[in-house]
Amino acid sequence: MRSFEYVNATNIKTAIALLSEPATEAIAGGTDLLGELKARLRSPRRLVNLKTLAKLREIRYSPQAGLRLGALVTLAEIERHPVIRERFSILAQAAASAATPQLRNMGTIGGNLCQKPRCWYYRNKLFPCWLKGGEKCFAEDGENKYHAILGADRCHAVHPSDLAPALIALDATLRVVGPDLDGEISLEELYTKPTESHRQMTILGPNELIVEIRVPTPKKAARGIYLKAMERQSWSFALVSVAAQLSFEGERIADARLVLGGVAAIPWRAKDSERILIGQKFSEELAERAAEAAVAGAQPLRENAYKVPLAKGLVKRALESLAG
Amino acid sequence: MPKVIKTKTEFEGRVLEEYVVVEGEGLTAWDAQAPLKFVGKKIPRIDGPERATGKAAYTFDVQLPGMLYGKILRSPHPHARIKNINTQRAETLPGVRAVLCYKNTPKISFRRQTFIFDEIVRYVGDEVACVIADDEEIAQDALELIEVEYEILPFVLDPEEALQPNAPKLYPDGNLLGGQPEVYQRGNLEQGFAQADVVIERTFRTQCALHNCMEPHGSVALWEGDSLTVWDSTQHIFGVREGLARLLGLPLHKVRVIKKYMGGGFGSKNNLGKYTVIAALAARMTGRPVKIVLDRHEENLATGNRPASIQRLKIGAKRDGALTALELKAIIAAGAYCLWPPSVGGPARELYACPNLKTEQYTVFTNTGPLSAFRAPGYVEGTFALESLMDELAKELGMDPLELRLKNYTEIDQTTGRPYSTKGLREAYERGAKLFGWPRRPEPQGQLRRGVGMASQIWSGNGMPPAYALVKINPDGTATVITGTQDIGTGTKTVLAQIAAEELGFPIEKISVEIGDTQMGLYAPLSAGSMTVASVGPAVRMAAHEARQQLLDVAAQVLEAPRESLTITDGLLSSPALQKPVAVHEVLKNLENFMIIGRGAREPNPEDVTVNTFGAQFAEVTVDTETGEVKVERIVAVHDSGRVINPLTLSSQIEGGIIQGLGYALFEQRVVDRNTGVVVNDNLENYKVPTALDIPEIVFEMVERPDPRANNLGAKGVGEPPIIPTAAAIANAVADALGVRIYELPLTREKILKALQH
Ligand SMILES: Cc1cc2nc3c(=O)[nH]c(=O)nc-3n(C[C@H](O)[C@H](O)[C@H](O)COP(=O)(O)OP(=O)(O)OC[C@H]3O[C@@H](n4cnc5c(N)ncnc54)[C@H](O)[C@@H]3O)c2cc1C
Ligand code: SF4
Repeated sequence: MRSFEYVNATNIKTAIALLSEPATEAIAGGTDLLGELKARLRSPRRLVNLKTLAKLREIRYSPQAGLRLGALVTLAEIERHPVIRERFSILAQAAASAATPQLRNMGTIGGNLCQKPRCWYYRNKLFPCWLKGGEKCFAEDGENKYHAILGADRCHAVHPSDLAPALIALDATLRVVGPDLDGEISLEELYTKPTESHRQMTILGPNELIVEIRVPTPKKAARGIYLKAMERQSWSFALVSVAAQLSFEGERIADARLVLGGVAAIPWRAKDSERILIGQKFSEELAERAAEAAVAGAQPLRENAYKVPLAKGLVKRALESLAG
Repeated sequence: MPKVIKTKTEFEGRVLEEYVVVEGEGLTAWDAQAPLKFVGKKIPRIDGPERATGKAAYTFDVQLPGMLYGKILRSPHPHARIKNINTQRAETLPGVRAVLCYKNTPKISFRRQTFIFDEIVRYVGDEVACVIADDEEIAQDALELIEVEYEILPFVLDPEEALQPNAPKLYPDGNLLGGQPEVYQRGNLEQGFAQADVVIERTFRTQCALHNCMEPHGSVALWEGDSLTVWDSTQHIFGVREGLARLLGLPLHKVRVIKKYMGGGFGSKNNLGKYTVIAALAARMTGRPVKIVLDRHEENLATGNRPASIQRLKIGAKRDGALTALELKAIIAAGAYCLWPPSVGGPARELYACPNLKTEQYTVFTNTGPLSAFRAPGYVEGTFALESLMDELAKELGMDPLELRLKNYTEIDQTTGRPYSTKGLREAYERGAKLFGWPRRPEPQGQLRRGVGMASQIWSGNGMPPAYALVKINPDGTATVITGTQDIGTGTKTVLAQIAAEELGFPIEKISVEIGDTQMGLYAPLSAGSMTVASVGPAVRMAAHEARQQLLDVAAQVLEAPRESLTITDGLLSSPALQKPVAVHEVLKNLENFMIIGRGAREPNPEDVTVNTFGAQFAEVTVDTETGEVKVERIVAVHDSGRVINPLTLSSQIEGGIIQGLGYALFEQRVVDRNTGVVVNDNLENYKVPTALDIPEIVFEMVERPDPRANNLGAKGVGEPPIIPTAAAIANAVADALGVRIYELPLTREKILKALQH
């Protein structure tokens, strides 16, 4: 990688001020950013190290306020935390399914939510692709077995995070701080399909930081599951993943949230499926219909059509296991 | 007395006929019942501690005073002519010491019709220039400052397209290696198919797989006057020496190649690499030592691969299962360069009794990274196709797959008509079937379908001359084995120490082994073809034997005991004529620094039999019909590689081979962008090797029948055999589970889900 200056952030405010300067980027665990720098995709002149912001490492929980995760909490901490495992189990499952133990020890939740796409054209300097400001998407008529089947437009990359679908299924919100901003947005709002004028997968500006992730305590009768299909048993991004959170009133499904990973540029909320489920008693036929609805409108490319039956299969299996 | 003979040796599926000087006859192999102390025992690696604690210096660890670092500029185009290179900006970057390219280096020819720095680049990753700088980062920065003007040439990535008459040509004489297919034929094919009751014809495809050795390829070159020393990550120090001497015009005694510890090669380090020659040129140019070590990205572009194959296979059989004819037409995607095409037809020619047979292999140049040997080259691919088709034939005939294989069992090498020296395949089948529980009763199938499959293995694994060793006995009763082989991670050093300890009658702690240095060692062949133990081991035994004879001669005189009465065990000389045993060093200590030097050479191979290895593997898988997930539940393997020298190092080979075979069966695949020729999964994130969680239960046994004709150890190779049948066994198990067959590897979810849709 090219050389750069490294500055330790002393507080959030100065971090934001530093990030407002050109060619400056934030680094947390560095597991994503350093990969980009080594591939020489970008060459920031200065990195602002967030890890010195000790307050952002905290995990707090109360039944009323729910779970509050500082942006620097690592995936390993999430995976092992007893309260998260018990009450927010899909988050713990998602964290445990990500990457490798080494990467989970280093990688933070803030960085995970903000990570860049893994599209192999994006990650290779030889391809000046559309998302990087170029003219053309190389995946569209190239090697696209890992790419999006839903909602893609100019860019066919998928959002790679495992934690994002799980957190959206749990209705998480974020505290975001910027030069003249300190507010709360829902995690779902963070993600956006890249557009001509905004070739990014999130709405965050370069000098805006996620400070905290807030997750409301799920209802008592809620059950959740995170299922992830990989090419091998570990150390793989999701081909397709499903985060499903259902709550029941008696035998009926009172509330349902279903979010798919690996299928679109954003964590894909399957709202039609949710509607099909809510108010109904579980049956195999219902699961089938919800699964079908989750991939309705899919537009596979040459090599990723398998993701359609795979997503259906995972949704069905998730629902079956929550009902069982 | 050395004898010059013409001999036939099989190496990786090809029979070589060459003149060799043979010596070393006269020692017969230990028989199966011989009471041995070290050979056949679980001896932990003698160099385990230094490897495990980071003290072993691999090529990358070599640090020399004043050393510079090289980084190679690689072509971004699959096919282009370099019109001009401007290195000026790179050269003026502080810390840059030299930039090498075709303009300022001698025109050194390399592989066929090409040069170290060629003006034509033939794949994305081909060498264009090399920056030498004070550190790697500076060199990397400087690469971006080199301006290359390319004339883009048309390119071809697909081997079938490359065979078309109007395809872009990589070489003036076309894209087909040798201008014609390699053809082997026996019997009468047409008649054979006419006699058949059942004929099946299928096309199988295998992917391009990458080695991804733990230790990358690389070299450190140092000139001292007109002598060149190179620390090279190689499977053949003597081959690198010969190549460097030839290309640089140096006499052999001025070139020293060193490889003390290795982190894997799998065939990708069989030959001299361009980086080695470039390091030597750069070190000469700058007057400083130069290190060039490739990174993971380069490993996945430019250091070789198991080439993709397309195999059209046709088989004919009688109702009772007897094969009447077999025909293979194979196309191999060599990539841009090819030294040694794999022999994909090997299994078809050798595995079964079949009188009428033809194999035809087209090795085709394409604008992709070049092939190299890769653990059982050709045989892994060929076995997948053959053993898949055998299963289909069994199904068609309503026979048990194992029964069909036994029906076509042969004790005669089908290609030469000679009998096998020993063949334990029948026993491997029987024991494997018992361990595995074959045949299995069908069970009800739900979402999770269970399947079983099996496949057979054949591979040479015989050693060959020449290989030499010395054993010296030191005055303190220790001994040093000296030979010029290299331990590529398989445990060669340990095995050679065991052999020497056994023959000398010394405790193993008293043996040290010096290898991996062309200047200090004696010639030994490349560590490939599963032949190191069977080539170098016998030379070491012979050398130890000779040293022992000398020791006995001297001891008889010193101890005044009849020579024939003396024996050596645990480093003690005993005889009924002695009151009590006498330690070897007691005998030697009064003889000043008398040096015992035993010399050994590998004996010739037998001319009247074929020496081969055999084996069988059984796989059980589950396939999830909703998610396409394949899980290999267990593998049972039984192999026959003659005498086992060390069950521990052997188990590493068996398990490692099976794991590598599983990766090949299920996920490993180089992906080349069809539009640009760029390898898009040039990293370990997307080139997927198995992880610990992917590894099934592995149960294995050895037939363990010493082969008295193989060599004076009765041992054969085991490096390659275990990878050969794994993918085929898994593919057969998956076909059993699904009820339909997938004819293409790897068996990804993509393909499974697609097969299930139909
Ligand atoms: C081989 C490999 C496999 C992986 N597999 C998976 C997987 O299976 N599933 C999965 O979910 N992830 C996977 N990952 C991604 C990994 O989880 C992320 O790299 C990691 O979580 C990022 O955290 P970090 O702290 O290292 O981020 P960094 O690399 O430090 O930062 C990543 C990006 O986020 C920005 N950033 C960091 N913190 C903040 C913040 N608080 N606010 C705003 N922006 C911020 C940085 O500027 C940078 O652009 C994998 C990564 C690798 C390298
Ligand atoms: S999918 Fe997106 S990131 Fe990938 S090549 Fe296309 S535009 Fe670039």
